[in-house]
Amino acid sequence: MTMGARNLINLDLFTDAYRVTGRALVGTGGIHAELGNPNSKFLELQDAYISRIHEPGAIIANYKLASFRKDNINFIVLSDRRDGIPVGTQHGRSVFTRGRHIPVFLTVPSFEIQGVVIHEGKASAREILVQSMGRFQLVFEAKASASSAPDISYSGDLILVQKDRVGIFCLDLSQTGT
Amino acid sequence: MARIYVIDDDEQLLRMVGLMLERGGHTVTLISNPVDGLEQVRTDKPDLLVLDVMMPNMSGHDISREVRSNKNLEDLPILVLTARSQEVDRATALKSGADDYLSKPVTSQELIERVDGLLAKRGGPKKAEEGVLVTLFGLRGGSGRTTLAVNLAAAIRRVSQQEVCLVDLSPTGSQTVMHMRLQARSSWVDLPPDKLDWNTLKNHLIIHPSGLRVLAAPSKPVSAVAPPEETTRTILSLLRQNVAFTVVDAPNVYSAAFVAAVSEADMSLHVVTPEVVSVQTAVQLNRLLAKTNVTIKRKSHILNQVTPEAQLPQSAVERGLNTRVAFLIGYDANQARAMAQGVPLTLTSAKSPLPTVVKRMAEAIWQRVATPTAE
Repeated sequence: MTMGARNLINLDLFTDAYRVTGRALVGTGGIHAELGNPNSKFLELQDAYISRIHEPGAIIANYKLASFRKDNINFIVLSDRRDGIPVGTQHGRSVFTRGRHIPVFLTVPSFEIQGVVIHEGKASAREILVQSMGRFQLVFEAKASASSAPDISYSGDLILVQKDRVGIFCLDLSQTGT
Repeated sequence: MARIYVIDDDEQLLRMVGLMLERGGHTVTLISNPVDGLEQVRTDKPDLLVLDVMMPNMSGHDISREVRSNKNLEDLPILVLTARSQEVDRATALKSGADDYLSKPVTSQELIERVDGLLAKRGGPKKAEEGVLVTLFGLRGGSGRTTLAVNLAAAIRRVSQQEVCLVDLSPTGSQTVMHMRLQARSSWVDLPPDKLDWNTLKNHLIIHPSGLRVLAAPSKPVSAVAPPEETTRTILSLLRQNVAFTVVDAPNVYSAAFVAAVSEADMSLHVVTPEVVSVQTAVQLNRLLAKTNVTIKRKSHILNQVTPEAQLPQSAVERGLNTRVAFLIGYDANQARAMAQGVPLTLTSAKSPLPTVVKRMAEAIWQRVATPTAE
């Protein structure tokens, strides 16, 4: 079996109380594939720098290596969607980037997230969460704002949101596009 | 040229940032250990500090705070360069004492622009009130005029740390882009003849990694009378208003653009080679300019030896021109290689004749501008 190319990507990862900035080693499937890998319940980060959610600029600790239970990750912010998923080639879009563009608003503990989901098929919250691949929902061109301090926000070309952590999920069907 | 210290624990990135800054004309010290870095900054007091945020033992924010609490270093410009790219990180960096913030990955152009902006803001050399225009001219082909223009512009940029623009007015195809290995996506032929303003012109300037801006000539030959006189004067006037130094490589035909380039200039450098035909052409041109009442300010002659053997000694050239040559540039065997590599010699560490003399020329020009009372 041939191993695909692997490279380190930068990401911001959020648990209930912490923000961790670090680097993850991913293959051609991006971080989405790593998160969906059934052989490991953990995600490893290199050069992890930890901040508290309410003071996200201040680094309280750093470690060469850190592991996270995938269940405990609320969301991950990426500055480039290509670090998250295969986006397709010049011949066509990948399965992740095909379909209607639907503006969404959703919440996870301590954060509200706004952005766009790309979905083929019936546009309902349940359909999207059930039909989309993996345990993390892809929200493109997204912004996560702290619920208690909305001026603290994190923007990314792609935010991967743990589906099990989603509280509210709203769709804006008046503004869908392709 | 500024002394810049870069502190980053990622040695690969450290080297990359170092190379970018060196290409921008700065002297760079690379430090991978933040604790040692702070100590060295305290001892040496560099002109600017580039800092990573996420480093073991001591974060970039900690270093910024330490620097700002030190009376000797409180005016040291700090640029934070980090993979933490959120707005909250920018705010934290500025609150800790940094002057500016860039998120990784960074392009060479972005980095140089920010660094130069900070240097100019904090104790950098005073910018001239109005830009200075230097024109290199000569009607004899093959005199190395474009080579000199490219190298002089790059050297002025290094010496002055100001905005410098190189204008290639050649109607016979752009040579400057080859000298600097640039992608000429536009040239003066693409400028709108009527509504030409600074914003439009700025968008047509190509930026070299050294920070030098270039207005390229069209890649294919155009009419010998191009660009029109009015357009040329507008271009030069806009550059004078917005850029500290403009170096013009005048066309090697006696056109309206040629006359505009030499008459608008604050300093004109007539490039001559030590051979009979070149001197004769220069003499004829000087006569023609005098006859047509073209006023040239601060004209100097540059004797540029482009072949290993000089046909005429300097004294014979000076007798022919009836004036002294201001600078003599000896034959430089490195130039052919520099041209092939697309890197101007003045941006390398070469100590050969061309970069040595051109750097002296640049220093002399900068000296005149920086200390106008010395004239």
